[in-house]
Amino acid sequence: MTTFELYRRSTIGMCLTETLDQMVSGGILSPELAIQVLIQFDKSMTEALETEVKSKVSIKGHLHTYRFCDNVWTFILQNAQLKSDEGQETVDSVKIVACDSKLLTQ
Amino acid sequence: MASSSTSNVYVHVIEDVINKVREEFINNGGPGEAVLAELQGLWELKMMQSGAILGPIDRSAGLKTATGAPITPNPVHDLNVPYDGTEEYETPTADLLFPPTPLPGMVLTPLHGVARTPLPGTDGSSLFDDSVGGTAITANEFSSSNNNGGVPDIKTGVGRPNPYMQPPSSWLNQRPPLDVNVAYVEGREDVERGSSRQPATQDFLVSSGKRKRGDFPAQYHAGGYIPQQDGAADFLSDVPKVVQGSVQQTLSRIPQLDGPIPDPYDDVLSTPNIYNYQGVVNEDYNIVNTPAPNDMQAATPAPVQNDIVDDDDDEPLNEDDDDELDDVDQGEDLNTMHLVLAQFDKVTRTKSRWKCMLKDGIMHINNKDILFNKVSFSVLLLSFPFRPYLHLRLSLVLVWRINLRYFESYSGNRRIRILILMV
Repeated sequence: MTTFELYRRSTIGMCLTETLDQMVSGGILSPELAIQVLIQFDKSMTEALETEVKSKVSIKGHLHTYRFCDNVWTFILQNAQLKSDEGQETVDSVKIVACDSKLLTQ
Repeated sequence: MASSSTSNVYVHVIEDVINKVREEFINNGGPGEAVLAELQGLWELKMMQSGAILGPIDRSAGLKTATGAPITPNPVHDLNVPYDGTEEYETPTADLLFPPTPLPGMVLTPLHGVARTPLPGTDGSSLFDDSVGGTAITANEFSSSNNNGGVPDIKTGVGRPNPYMQPPSSWLNQRPPLDVNVAYVEGREDVERGSSRQPATQDFLVSSGKRKRGDFPAQYHAGGYIPQQDGAADFLSDVPKVVQGSVQQTLSRIPQLDGPIPDPYDDVLSTPNIYNYQGVVNEDYNIVNTPAPNDMQAATPAPVQNDIVDDDDDEPLNEDDDDELDDVDQGEDLNTMHLVLAQFDKVTRTKSRWKCMLKDGIMHINNKDILFNKVSFSVLLLSFPFRPYLHLRLSLVLVWRINLRYFESYSGNRRIRILILMV
């Protein structure tokens, strides 16, 4: 099964990575196992986002940069408004990184 | 801080991961349940510290996992229970199981994973290393021929303290002219090099029309030289010289045709004007058939060319040239503030309006994590003075950047520069 390593850059992913790093360098975890945990995280995170999360968000803003490379879209938006169920956020600039969802179904 | 729903999902993910890797930890001589529990504890602790998980929820969730070891806000202490001593890191089992390999490999691996999303810098730099190694031989060849030639303007050779210059000068011999004078090409091929190299040249000519991204490394590694991408006019100006003078001298006299050296601030001053002059010639494509370049080449008097250097007021292209976009980029990276990670379903554009459907994403906005199942965003392209050409501008910048990455050793991308200016 294909997984995206994309979500490792999120807060939860970074926390896991740090933890694993710490444990591996402490010698209590083998690198191989750590990688397996990361892969499992990729799967679980993807799955959880599919099944557990229902909220919708809309973003509007000025597109400053767009880039499509290796099936990854990167956008940099300026003066973006993000509306979600929980309210509205406005940010000066936001970077959006998106992988192709079709790759997962292959 | 995270909303409660986000926190719940995070807790769910942690549990899910822990449960699914449990087998690996327990079976096959894995480190065991205790280590797993420690992993979970540390992870949750970090999540709480970062505010991504709300503390109380986490605690109850930890209890729900029913791993047997109750999770408290400071789980590391709990985890000592299965062990006798507090120095669990030094238990013999751990040493046996994990011989002192891990550090380098491990530290790298997750980061690599993270960097899976394209980072041009990585590839570029490694290729660049290769390129230096690959062209070393030819560079030596060149310098030896230069010494033997005893050409009057040997100053040009001496004035090259920078090793960066050598690769371009070496593959320059094989660089085919891109346009205009086919007759000259063939004449030159006959005179200067064996026919054995001709196929490579022709390959390049074919591919230079439409260049795919993959072409760079392939050509490079196959041929051992880097094809000239940035304009051939400078070469054309040499051709008559071949006809006029002796081949050897001509060869050794043209160390670098494609503009000033990669490290312009150091080298432009120390490098004789001939390069710069030719650079100027390059920019004017109409001049190719005029006699002027011939004259200049034949005489090669340094003083005369000084004047011309002066009017080469373009500063050479630099990595920093492209500019405003990158500034924003770096700003983003440095602050790592607002980031959205997602999968895209569809990305469409109508004129300057982009519409994108994303799904299954994590947003980190204003220090707050928001998960979403779907997102649609429509954005308006910032208006540039020359909006219709924006794509061209961007792609040119891209091309130039690729050039620079792969062919770091030369900076005469004047043609691209010109195109950008024109746009």
